[in-house]
Amino acid sequence: MAAGGRGASQGGGEGEIDLTPMLDVVFIMLIFFIVTSSFVKEPGAQIIKAEAVTTGACERGTIIFAVTAVGDIYYDKKQIPVERAYRMAEAAKKEAPKANFVIQADVDAPTSVLSELLGVLKPLMDAPLCASTEEAG
Amino acid sequence: MRKRNRDVNADEAEIDLTPMLDVVFIMLIFFIVVASFLKEAGIEVNRPDSSKSDPSDATSIVVTITGDDQIWMENRRIDIRAVRATIARLLAGDPEMGFTVKTESGATASTLLEVGDAAREAGIKQVNWPAEEDK
Repeated sequence: MAAGGRGASQGGGEGEIDLTPMLDVVFIMLIFFIVTSSFVKEPGAQIIKAEAVTTGACERGTIIFAVTAVGDIYYDKKQIPVERAYRMAEAAKKEAPKANFVIQADVDAPTSVLSELLGVLKPLMDAPLCASTEEAG
Repeated sequence: MRKRNRDVNADEAEIDLTPMLDVVFIMLIFFIVVASFLKEAGIEVNRPDSSKSDPSDATSIVVTITGDDQIWMENRRIDIRAVRATIARLLAGDPEMGFTVKTESGATASTLLEVGDAAREAGIKQVNWPAEEDK
């Protein structure tokens, strides 16, 4: 009687759910998110993108510069002069060597600024630049 | 008494996973929140390696965008809507032709991207955009 009662109370007290499968799942999710997270620094400038029919995905395009309609260059929510773009890009490239460059250009952005920025970034690029556009239609 | 207690503890010795679980969950939530699934989309624009390569050679289609956003091709001013058809026609003659778009200071990005888009639509694989020449 006593033994039975003890056994029952033990079962109730230590009746714990086996957490191992959940832990497995949580760990796999954790590792997935760690691996896929890319820490994109968004330029944070308000721009209107041009529309393009041939818009395609920018493969690993995670270093993003923006050029506004008045020709200001934005990176990581700050306006930067073109001379500093190289240092910023170099640091970003060191952090993520596989990342490619993206320029978000406003429809009215002057090509002279874009051209200058592209010239600055060119030594660091190992893939063509991705000029951000909106899917047309 | 003490000995018995220790034995019981040894029998049921399980590591308490709760603190680790807390940490793991917080990390999980952090990475889920940080993971930005933003996918940038756009068109590829290539900057040729140096200005030494002559883009006006016969094997290349050259489009020039002037400072006031006029599009010039084969010494004629053409409309943006005619760019795709013109490139497609030239490409039909020689599918291996390269494509170069030149801009002059003062042109806007929309014209450049529209021309690049039209070229890609016509079947051009790589849009080359050399540096603007200083005048």
